[in-house]
Amino acid sequence: MDIVDLARLQFALTAGAHFLFVALTLGLATLVAVVQTRATLSGDPVHLRMTRFWGQLYIINYAMGIVTGLVMEFQLGLSWSGLTEYAGDVFGSALAIETLVAFFVESTFLGLWIFGWNKLNRWAHLALIWVVTLTAYASAFWIMVANGFLQNPVGHVLEGGRLRLTDFGAMVANPAAQVAFWHVLFGAMIVGGFFMAGVSAYHLSRRTPEQDLFRKSLRIGIGVALPALLLTATFGGIGFESLQPAKAAAWVNDAERLAAAQAEMVARFGPGDYLPPVGAVQAGGITMLTLFAVMLFVAAPSFLLMLVRPVVRGFRVWHWLLTLMIPVPFVTMLAGWVFREMGRQPWAVYGLLTTSDAMSPVTEGQMVFSLTAFVTVFAVLIAVNYWLLARQARRGPGAVALGDRPVDAPVPAPSF
Amino acid sequence: MEIFVLGFFAIGYLVLAGADIGVGMALPYLGRSAGERREVIAAIAPFFLGNEVWLVATGGVLAGLFPRLEGELLHGNHTVVVTLLVAWVVRDMGLWLRGRLPGARWQACWDGAIVAGSWGLALSWGALLSHVLLGIEGPVALLPALVIAALFGTHGLTFAALRLRGTLRARAAVLAGGAGEVRTYALTSVVLVVVGVLAGLRLPLEPGTSGPLLVPVVLTLIPFLVAAQAWVWWTFRHRVSGPSYL
Repeated sequence: MDIVDLARLQFALTAGAHFLFVALTLGLATLVAVVQTRATLSGDPVHLRMTRFWGQLYIINYAMGIVTGLVMEFQLGLSWSGLTEYAGDVFGSALAIETLVAFFVESTFLGLWIFGWNKLNRWAHLALIWVVTLTAYASAFWIMVANGFLQNPVGHVLEGGRLRLTDFGAMVANPAAQVAFWHVLFGAMIVGGFFMAGVSAYHLSRRTPEQDLFRKSLRIGIGVALPALLLTATFGGIGFESLQPAKAAAWVNDAERLAAAQAEMVARFGPGDYLPPVGAVQAGGITMLTLFAVMLFVAAPSFLLMLVRPVVRGFRVWHWLLTLMIPVPFVTMLAGWVFREMGRQPWAVYGLLTTSDAMSPVTEGQMVFSLTAFVTVFAVLIAVNYWLLARQARRGPGAVALGDRPVDAPVPAPSF
Repeated sequence: MEIFVLGFFAIGYLVLAGADIGVGMALPYLGRSAGERREVIAAIAPFFLGNEVWLVATGGVLAGLFPRLEGELLHGNHTVVVTLLVAWVVRDMGLWLRGRLPGARWQACWDGAIVAGSWGLALSWGALLSHVLLGIEGPVALLPALVIAALFGTHGLTFAALRLRGTLRARAAVLAGGAGEVRTYALTSVVLVVVGVLAGLRLPLEPGTSGPLLVPVVLTLIPFLVAAQAWVWWTFRHRVSGPSYL
């Protein structure tokens, strides 16, 4: 492996890990916000316990999303300064808006939501989770604007060897950003929906307490997952129509189209290999589409089954199937991401800057050091976090600390 | 204006997060038992998430307004920045994970992660700032780094004295002496601001070309961001009277 491969591996592992967590974060935040709305409107204790249970799982997951995300943010300057120097004036604006408009507000209000339980007015507390959810969407949106620019650069001119943003509207309206944003957003709803349905099915099959809570949760999960599947596929289909020529050729592995894409690039940029790795692109695309079909075959009949209460309570085989389905949307998301990002190679900014030119001038020793450090820390933390997520999910709502009344509450004295 | 925006977020981070990093560094001194440590952590628990986003925002502002400087600063200090990030991650996970299980060994292990991560963060900041301010790199940089770490530590102890009560407050007030907590906290804050400004003056602060578009957006946002954080500080203004969620 040369140093560019090491840097790519490092970014791919960080982004992939981040993607796993933020997908569930987006989906679960939405579900928690909906459940808390019902709890606040009806005052129903079941919905309140649902909010606390799913909210606790959401927070465990969110923390991991943050730490992988911040490493990703700083990796741009660490490993890819060629990219930020060349195109930072354009897509850096989207990243800056993401951190300020979205992430800053999301994290601040999430802290208030977590620690303000039983402290704030319940309507203010409800408003907080909605702000957190909507800013999470905004975060995904601006990240997809940045990513869309790398896929399909628009709204810029080249000046003195660097790109300058000339049309902000064009960058935001970029179809490579818009279509992908909706695709990813509904994909996250699939992740959240199957997660909620799968965990609930586990509890229903085990006959644990709180059958009522999990029966309702299962229905919400399936009720969200099925329409989200159809919408994700719709936007994915639209995205397929505007693939870069080389990505499209690699997807169908058509020798003629691959040669044509290569010849066109050689004519524009001089000799070189401009084709993405066909095997990886195909594997990513096929996995994504196959698993989509699997999810659809499970979600559609589940939608009918969940309408019959005795079935929801007692159909064990179906419960096991739903529990087994929990990892499937995660794998599908990663496969789709491999398809999208590997298909763009060898370009960091499509048609403008190659990945190898985007590298920072760092030594191989430095790259090995950072790769080893990040991989070791993340491997441990991801394992611990998924174990905790599974443990908390298995133990059910009785063991939730979130929103517990404080143990003792003497008269508070202001500290500042 | 670009420089003001960058300075605002960077210095905001140093002053706000400096306090919770300092509390993490002093955790073994302040919290002698598991229960005490949990109460000490409750002093920073509602704030650390809102504090660290100032650094995320600083990174975003660097990417948007100073893309060239972002690269130079980060890959030019590769080892220090990687260490800083690893320390940040370890510390955050320590804070989030310590309360997830009741076991004493589990909590002691993550308390260790909080302390090691806080020290790692403070020393990395020290090394980064001493490189920017004094041009010192390598093992010699450990000396100015220790000075910066001591500054974070003092700032954190004073913050803990402002937030805690009883024995814990008395322990935290050890450095505030007769000057009082508020005055000492103001003093360490001013020193952090001065360090931040001096470091900024030493950086090649040449903005990129997206300022005319981005700066008005950011300036419009700042009052909302500050208001959101002010709400957090107002909600949790009372002295800590027991363990919190973490």
